Amino acid sequence: MTGLKLAVVAWRNLWRHKRRTLLTLSSIAFGGFLAVLFTALQDRSFADFIDTAARLGSGHVTLQHPDYLDTPRLTRTVQGSAELRALVTRDSDVARAVERISGQIMLATASDSFGAFFMAYDPELEDASTLSFGEGLTEGAMYTTPHDAGIILGKKLAQNLGLKIGKKVVYTMLDKQGEIVSGMRRLSGVISTGAPSLDAGLCLLPINTVREALGYASDESTAVAVFLSDARQSPAVAQRLNNTLGSGGRDASRVALAWDEIRPELSTFIAMKVGGARFMELIIAILVAAGIFNTLFVSVMERTREFGIMLAIGYSPGQLFGLVMWESLWLGLVGIAASAAMTIGPYVYLVNTGIDMSAIGGTAGVATEVAGVGFDGTLRVGIFPEHLVIIVLAVVLATLTAGLYPAWRAGNVVPVESIKLV
Amino acid sequence: MPETNAARVVELTAVTKDYRQGTLDVQALRGIDLTIYKGEFLAICGPSGSGKTTALNLIGALDSATSGSLKLEGHDLKTLSRRALSRLRRDRIGFVFQAYNLLPVLTAYENAETVLALQGVSAAERRERVMQLLAEVGLAGLEERRPDQLSGGQQQRVAIARAIAANPAVVLADEPTANVDSETAEKLLGIMQQLNRERAVTFIFSTHDARVMDHAQRIVRLVDGQVASDERQQ
Repeated sequence: MTGLKLAVVAWRNLWRHKRRTLLTLSSIAFGGFLAVLFTALQDRSFADFIDTAARLGSGHVTLQHPDYLDTPRLTRTVQGSAELRALVTRDSDVARAVERISGQIMLATASDSFGAFFMAYDPELEDASTLSFGEGLTEGAMYTTPHDAGIILGKKLAQNLGLKIGKKVVYTMLDKQGEIVSGMRRLSGVISTGAPSLDAGLCLLPINTVREALGYASDESTAVAVFLSDARQSPAVAQRLNNTLGSGGRDASRVALAWDEIRPELSTFIAMKVGGARFMELIIAILVAAGIFNTLFVSVMERTREFGIMLAIGYSPGQLFGLVMWESLWLGLVGIAASAAMTIGPYVYLVNTGIDMSAIGGTAGVATEVAGVGFDGTLRVGIFPEHLVIIVLAVVLATLTAGLYPAWRAGNVVPVESIKLV
Repeated sequence: MPETNAARVVELTAVTKDYRQGTLDVQALRGIDLTIYKGEFLAICGPSGSGKTTALNLIGALDSATSGSLKLEGHDLKTLSRRALSRLRRDRIGFVFQAYNLLPVLTAYENAETVLALQGVSAAERRERVMQLLAEVGLAGLEERRPDQLSGGQQQRVAIARAIAANPAVVLADEPTANVDSETAEKLLGIMQQLNRERAVTFIFSTHDARVMDHAQRIVRLVDGQVASDERQQ
């Protein structure tokens, strides 16, 4: 008998006990629903975290002086950054590359003084896809040219300094030679990122004015931030760039680092969450497999006599094994279809609208900071295609695994004993 | 023992079968010698516990003898592997059970063609042979019905069609008339007798139904696991 015929018999067998089969299918469907939504929530959240972190300054891959990561001094720069920018954008995974200067700054007003982190950027080369701060502008305006006057501060920092738009602030930095340089600017913008540490300690400046103040060359910066179309390619792109630039060793003048090397705290946070989720998914898979096993095992035990008859009339043990495995496969496939039907509606809603978790927690409108990255508290989903494929394969594998023992029992029925059973 | 010139289909020589039932050791067969020839319509009868079903199970390669030799068309069943026994049952033995035992998810046609499908016979040939057989057993027009849509007698006819579809060397029928009324039993026996005559199919019945014995050409009576008598009747 061909596999196809066994498949037909198996399909019909599946519906001999409709209620039992439907209950099993509903458990598979619910398991698939949970697995897809959990994974989609993670994929989207972590991708958003990484993108947000990248748009806070460092990009998905950062080209910088090899020692800058450990001791971020303004003396550790990348020369020829404009040329580098052009070079790295030849990589097919690279979408954009921009120059940045960042370091420590002291800000003082008549009322108070605070240390802060500054980042200088070229407003003519950047937009929301490379720098997210513009989205948090609450007062004033962002820069329009790299030579603009003014200074943009985090909201809390501006409050601490007692500054309002147009008011003066004195800044002090160490230049490339380690000498103190200072100047005066007027507050031109206030931003609120949602990350308390950034709001209380961030200062944005236009890049060319900083170059002039620090004595940098016109194509010198502390980093070239590289943005990718898919953040998951960061390690591979960093490796390729190091190979291309001959900067694999730390003694080189520049090195390409993936986002997880630049932000290990975020990488660790994501790794821990992924580990926990994998454990949860394993439990779901075991529960689903246990349900399928129970259904198939009971079904096989009920049909012991029937299997004995089938062996008597000429079915081989292998064919009976195959028959039950087909039943198991059908359960998995129909379960996946039911799971898709159950998941599609909530998934589309969560992709487009999401759930405002801050509203649920009674903190509507208050953003949260996770591992140094602010996010708006709205849960949205978006699963990577390969993860969807893995879930589908896992369901099929779980159903087939659950079917192995019942199938083996079916194939090993002793006809003369089972036929006696009534 | 009756003698005939026909080919030997089944040969049992000094066959014994012991098994354990709970704490008791049971000697179901105690050295049976029996030869069954092609085209016979034979009934093995005897009281409950006489070894009828055990003998049928051994001949059907569903069980193995404790000692002695059992040959089907010259093949010593003891020497065959599990897979070979499975093929032998598929190709050379037909079964008709007391409780019909059709596959409930298959139609009458599909049940009847099962063995042919297992043998890999083409769909066209299966259709031709099975449709003709179903007509012969009086089931024309009922091919698409499932077992639960057929009466007991009709189900047993499907079982007969399934048993002989692949032209087996022997059809083993264990109490085939036990679950049907007298009229149906007569019809079933008539069908099997006709198939025996026209197709020269060897039928071996395990029965204590007098109607079956009335139709049988040869009656082997077992008592306490031994052949008490072996008679051919006209």
